[in-house]
Formats: sequence, C-alpha cells, structure tokens
Amino acid sequence: MRQLIAMTVGAMGLLVASAPAIANNFYAEGMAKAKAEDWPAALDLLEQAVTADPNNLRVGTDYRQAVIAAGEYDRCLEFLGKVVADHPEAPNALLNLGFAHVDKIPVEGAITQVILANTALEKFSAALELEETWLLRYTRGNSYLYWPAIFGRTQFGIDDLQRAIDMAKELDSMPYHGRAWAALGDGYWRLEDPAKALATYKEGLALYPDNAELKQRAELDETELTTFLEALFDTNVRVATHLAEIWEAHHANGAR
Amino acid sequence: MRMAPASSEPVPAAERPAGPQGLPTAPVMAAAVLAMAYVGAVRAEVSSAAIEAPPKVRAEAGIRFEEIGESAGVRLIHTTRSFGDRHKAEVLEMFTDGGAAVAVGDYNNDGWDDLFVVDSELGKPNHLMRNNGLGPDGKLSFTNVAVRAGVTGGNDDESIVADGLWFDFDNDGWLDLLVGRFGTPILYRNNGPSQDGEHTFTDVSAATGLTEFGNTIAAIAFDHDNDGWLDLLLGNYFQPLNLLDLDTPHVLPNNLDYADNGGGVTFWHNLPGKAGGRRFVEITERVGMKHHTGWSLDLGHADLDNDGLQDVYIAGDYGTDRLFMNQGPGADGNYTFEDVTEDAMGWDTRKGMNVDMGDYNRDGFLDVYVTNITDEYMKECNFLWHNNGDGTLIDLSRETGTCDTDWGWAAKFGDFDNDGWEDIYAVNGLRSREKQNYIPILLEVIITPGIDFSDVNSYPDIGDMTWSGYQKQRFFHNLADGTFKETGAEVGLDNDLDGRGLGMADFDNDGLLDLYQTNASQPALLHHNRSVGAGNWVQLKLTGTESNRDAIGARVTLGAGGETYLREVNGGNAYASQSTFRLHFGVGEAKQIDAVEIRWPSGKVEKLAASEGKPALPINALSKIREGEGVVR
Repeated sequence: MRQLIAMTVGAMGLLVASAPAIANNFYAEGMAKAKAEDWPAALDLLEQAVTADPNNLRVGTDYRQAVIAAGEYDRCLEFLGKVVADHPEAPNALLNLGFAHVDKIPVEGAITQVILANTALEKFSAALELEETWLLRYTRGNSYLYWPAIFGRTQFGIDDLQRAIDMAKELDSMPYHGRAWAALGDGYWRLEDPAKALATYKEGLALYPDNAELKQRAELDETELTTFLEALFDTNVRVATHLAEIWEAHHANGAR
Repeated sequence: MRMAPASSEPVPAAERPAGPQGLPTAPVMAAAVLAMAYVGAVRAEVSSAAIEAPPKVRAEAGIRFEEIGESAGVRLIHTTRSFGDRHKAEVLEMFTDGGAAVAVGDYNNDGWDDLFVVDSELGKPNHLMRNNGLGPDGKLSFTNVAVRAGVTGGNDDESIVADGLWFDFDNDGWLDLLVGRFGTPILYRNNGPSQDGEHTFTDVSAATGLTEFGNTIAAIAFDHDNDGWLDLLLGNYFQPLNLLDLDTPHVLPNNLDYADNGGGVTFWHNLPGKAGGRRFVEITERVGMKHHTGWSLDLGHADLDNDGLQDVYIAGDYGTDRLFMNQGPGADGNYTFEDVTEDAMGWDTRKGMNVDMGDYNRDGFLDVYVTNITDEYMKECNFLWHNNGDGTLIDLSRETGTCDTDWGWAAKFGDFDNDGWEDIYAVNGLRSREKQNYIPILLEVIITPGIDFSDVNSYPDIGDMTWSGYQKQRFFHNLADGTFKETGAEVGLDNDLDGRGLGMADFDNDGLLDLYQTNASQPALLHHNRSVGAGNWVQLKLTGTESNRDAIGARVTLGAGGETYLREVNGGNAYASQSTFRLHFGVGEAKQIDAVEIRWPSGKVEKLAASEGKPALPINALSKIREGEGVVR
C-alpha cells in the first residue's frame, strides 16, 4: 500500500522544485507573462517548460489555464498531443492532454463536445494503464458521469469512483478525497436513485466534514439535487481543471 | 351547407359561453351593445362583424384546446417518402422526413381560412382542405378539394414534396400556391372560381421560370424591394442533387456542428414576364446570400430594425444560423442584404429548426424564436432572440423559460388567450417507434475517429428504433413579465406525436387562434381553441394596392387600453408552416381600439384614430383594410 501512496504523490508531479531547473525557469517566466496577460509569450514559455518536464502535472495544468485564458485550444491539443507522442510513458502528460480536451468542450458545438469528451476519456484510460492513482481514478470516474445514462457509462464511473474511495483509505487523508464521495453520489443520481445519492453524500461527509462539495449536496432535497446536478453537468459550463485544491492541500501538508 | 364568413356573421349563440339561464352574461351584453352602436353609426364604411367577446368566467378561466381533427375531417396522415430497397434507404428516409408541412390561406376569399397539407410519399396526393365554416350543428368542417383544384401532384419518381406556401404572385386577388420539393418547385396559379364555384389551379412553374432543381424544405414570400410584387426565398437542405437517384454516397452533412455542404438558399425576384405575366429570376448572388452554403431548415422574414425593409433570418441545421439585414437599394438600384450574423448575434453550432417573429415583450421590436435540439443527450437550448433595437440580438431563452422543447420543429407566436401577450406553441419529436433507442448506436459512429459524416454508409440502420420520440409538445404561456410558463398539459396541447408544422388561424372565426399540427408519418391534429375568460381582440385583413396584394410585410401598430401592440404580415414564417394572413391582436380588458397605424410595404402610412366616441376599429371583430382606402367591406 505504501507503493500506492508513493505512486499517487509521484503522479501528482507536484514538485516543481524537483523538476529540471530549465523547466523551472521557463515555468517561472511563463507564469509571469501569464500574470501580465501576455498570452503569446506565456504560452511559448510554458510550452518550453512542459517540454522540459512533460510529466509535471502542475506545469501542464498551469499551461492549460493559460491556454483557456488565451482561447488557444487547438494549439494546446496539438502541442500536448506531440508531448504525449514523444513521451508515451508519462501519465501526467496524458492526463493533461485529456484535460485539454475537456477544456475545449464549452466552446464547441454539441456533437464536437461529444467527440472531445470521448477522446478525453480515452486519454484518462491510457494514463491509468500506465499508472493507477487516486487522481486518475477520480478524474475518469467523474468524466463518465457527464454522459447521460442512456449511453450506459454511468456504472463505469461509479466503479472508478468506488475504487478511488478505496484507494483513499490507504493514503494520507486529503480534503479533496471527499470529492470522490460527492461524485459517487452524483453517479447514483444519474442512475435515478437520488435517495442513494443523498445517503452517499452524508456518508462521505462523515469522513470529510469540511468538504464543500459534500456539504453543498447533503443539504439539498431530491428536487433541489436534480436542479443542482443538471446545472453542474451542463456541458456548456466550463469544468474547473485547475486542480487548485490539490496544490493547496499539499502545500498545507508541507508537500513542497 | 356553408356558413357565411365572419365579416358578416356573428358566432352562433350555441358556440358562445352562456350566463345563467342561457342568457349572455353582462360583459357580453355590454360588448354587444357597444359593438352594435358602433356598427350602426358607421355602417356605411365598416364591414366588420360584431362578434361578442367570450365572457369572463374567472372560476374556469384559462387557455384550453380541444382536438377536433377527426370531426372536422382534417386528421390527415402524412407519409414520409420511402426509399424502397435502395442502399441505406432508412438513412435517407431519416434525413428527409421533415416535410410534413401545412399552409393556411383563404384561397377562395370566403372569409374562412383553408388548409393545404402535403404528403411526401411517391404518388400520394397533397390535400387542399376547403374550410366549410360552421355547420348547422355549429361544428367546423373541411372538404378535400385537391383533385378538383388540381393541386394533388408533386410526389413523383424524381421529387418529394416538402413544403407549401400560399402567396398571390400575380396580384390578381387570388392566392396562388407554391409546392416546395426535394426537386423542382411547382407554382400553381389560382384561376379563380369555375362555373361551379370551385377554384382550379394551373401549373405555371415553367412559364414563370421556376424550373431550377433544389432540395427545398422551406419557402417564404416577401417583397424584398417593396416594388409591389412578392419575391421568393427558398431554403434548401441538401445540395441540388437528386436524392432518389444518387451517384455518390457523400450527400450528408460534412460536419455535425459546422456543416457547409448544404443547399443554402435561392432568392427569386418577381419580375414582369411575357404577355403581362410574371417570371422569377434568381438573384441569390446579387442580393448577397450566395455564400450561405449551410443546411437551411427554415426561413423567417420581418423588419427587425424598423426601417421599412424586410430582413431575413435563416435557421441552419448542423451549423450556424444567419441574419441578413436588408440594406435597401444600392447605387444600381438593386436591393442587397448584409450578413450581420457575427456582429448581431454571433456564430452558433446548433441545429436550427424554426424561425418565427413576434414582439413577445411589446417593446416595439420584433424578436425571433428558433428551436434547436435539447434532449437527454444533447442540450443545445432554443434561441429566443431578444431584439435589442440596436442591431444586436441576445438569446434569452433560458431567462424566459423557453429553452427546452426537446427535439424542436415548428413554433409559433400567438396570443391564444387574448390577454395582449404573445404565447408560444412549439411542436417536437423526431421519430417515435419501438423501445430500443437509436442514440447509443449512433454514438459509436460519432466517436469513430476520422468518420466521414457525409457518407450515408457511415450511419447504422435505424430499423424500428426510436430517436428522440414520444416527446411532449410545449405551450409557453406569456406571463407578461418577460417570462413564460410551460403549460402544455394544462391547456391540452401536450400530445407526443412527431410534430413538424403548425398552421395557426382562427379557423372558426370565434376570435380565438386555433392550431393545426402536422406530424411526420402520423395523423395531423386540429386544436380548437376553447379558452374561457379570454380577453378582447381584433383581427385585421390587409389588402395591398400599391403594395403586394397580400400586404406581406405590412406592419400594424395598434393602441388599446393604453397599451401598444405590434404585428407584421408574414409570408410563411415557421418551419413547415404557413399561418393566417390575418393579423390577430388580443387586447385584454381594453374595450376600445384607440389608434391603428399601418405602414404598408409601399411606404405609405395610414392612421385610424378614435374620435368623438367612435373607436378606430370595432372590438372583437375582423376588419378589412385596403391600402389607401381604410376600412372596407
């Protein structure tokens, strides 16, 4: 089980400090340009940072956030696609490529959204084949929930999320682990079992009493839950893929 | 026995809600006295009928519809064209099943709106349903006179009928009939009544130059240059290739969000022809619409910027809708349109199905309602384009509560309870068959890398599977506060047939708007409006003299009870639909029409005002107004 913990932390790729120095330099300069909203320069520099440290989740994540701000989705997909092709052993590169597809969904038409969502799932699955982590299980499981029940993918999501919950039991407890419980409940709602969904939120809340996702859901009745989740799963609304909770939690735990 | 038209006959007493002991209630009496006094005073110049308003029975007030298609003889069953044992026949059938169309028009000028209802199957006839008016039993009935009239044709080996449109192309006072087809169009000239009183029609397609092949699914008529003659805009779904004799499988949309390989539109200018006749000349490029190569599903026209010129909205399937603003004449005298889509409303990727125009919030600018696809698996949301009055439109469908009509087709604005606010009825549903759902099967195609969407071979057969079927139609009641409430079940309009077209008219001349709903491969429905406690109303039938005879494009601003109402005569707005040429205004509790302003397409403006206790127009009545002559008999 310790191996799992090690794998999880490793997969996070959080430790920019431990990344190659060249990546750090590009990353720092790129983030400064992003702060100044000089998007062309920011993207150039952050792409160099990703190239230098392709499995670094945080560098890739912050690159994608700059892409979202710049609206350069196709450039991002092409770039991260090449990174993955060059580094097929890097699960976080695949994870970021999957997220890049998710990032583009709100600006696309309904059918293209479906294609992007499906491709994202494929990338998450490929990453899981390389390495099993809590984040990858949660991410793929949660992604399945965006598919209407008619497509028969909800149970796959529930299976992934249950696995993430089991994995979390073997890990140092992090507040964001409560998200898997929230998503699991969402899965039951998707299967038209709102009572089980609400029970799941409450069960998760007992373990993660400070988790905002769980608190919010647990306070709703079944009707309110439907309204809330229909809005949540609106494919025209951007899904937050900045992973800020993870950085904050690990920072608070002294992971740096 | 045919009853006389509304303009000279009040609604039979049997049809009126009655008060205690069968007597009209006090409001009815008051309205009748008022109307009679007015008619008596101005009989020499007004032919309007004094039709009493339904009483205010608050305990049972509300919008109610009763389906009477069977008893009225109009429960016609549309049949989609079968492609037989052709390769991928089912796929082609799916892509061509939209043409269950209806066109409303009073082709014999008897004061009762008639119906032209199409079929699409090989050899099957279209229907011309003459409105007989109310029988001795007070019931409405129709008689199919299509054979006698000579308008049954169109479904042959090379063509599929998909739309119908009434318009008086030669300004002779009789409505002519255009039959839109996946093929060449057919234009029937109305010959007027024969010796037996029945009307006949003559195919003048070739003589008028309408011989160009196109896969036409939508047609509207309006006068783009205000020269007094109605022009034609045809919306074409597929490119102009014969679907019944394909030499390539690459005929379907090349992208399901951004398709640009559709049929676009063709614009036909109505010009003088030989021997005093008329001819249509294609001017699509000249007017600036040639670059639109999308999959046009519906067309709508109206004056959106209040400049006296008709503008055009195109609903595009598999890609962006387009807005063309009429720029008026250029240096060469020719009228052109500017594609203002990007600046006015932005590009969209939705599956645009319907265009109708109405001033839902009474701000003096016509708004646009477009249906898209909103279903479990695809949540596009409709557009309710609120006209900002500054050249831009903003979609307020979510804010107004009109976003979701499932797989939308036709939708119409109409004030169905005469409260002064236009409601919306929207029909929906693609294909209701067996329990198995086609969507998961189609998904596998959509997510196949590198799939060629344009290839019919890419699509799995659908068999008896259902695809967005058994959907409840939606009725949105305008709450007069900028929002609508969906009340389809409450008002009796929540049937789950696979709706396509809507013909809206006051078929029984009782002052309430009725609805004729066509359905793909299913029976049509006639929804008789039997609302209780509805408000007062007025209807106008305009006739152009300098302007086109049908007065299409004429704008009426009506004042009553301190409120202002706006309507325009349109030539075929809404998908697979044409509604009455009459303008119907609900005016709520107002007891008198205070002022009427008519802006004719010719530019002439006529005003009618109340004076010395005499209203501008009689309330609860149809008034006929002729350009330059005011109210006429």
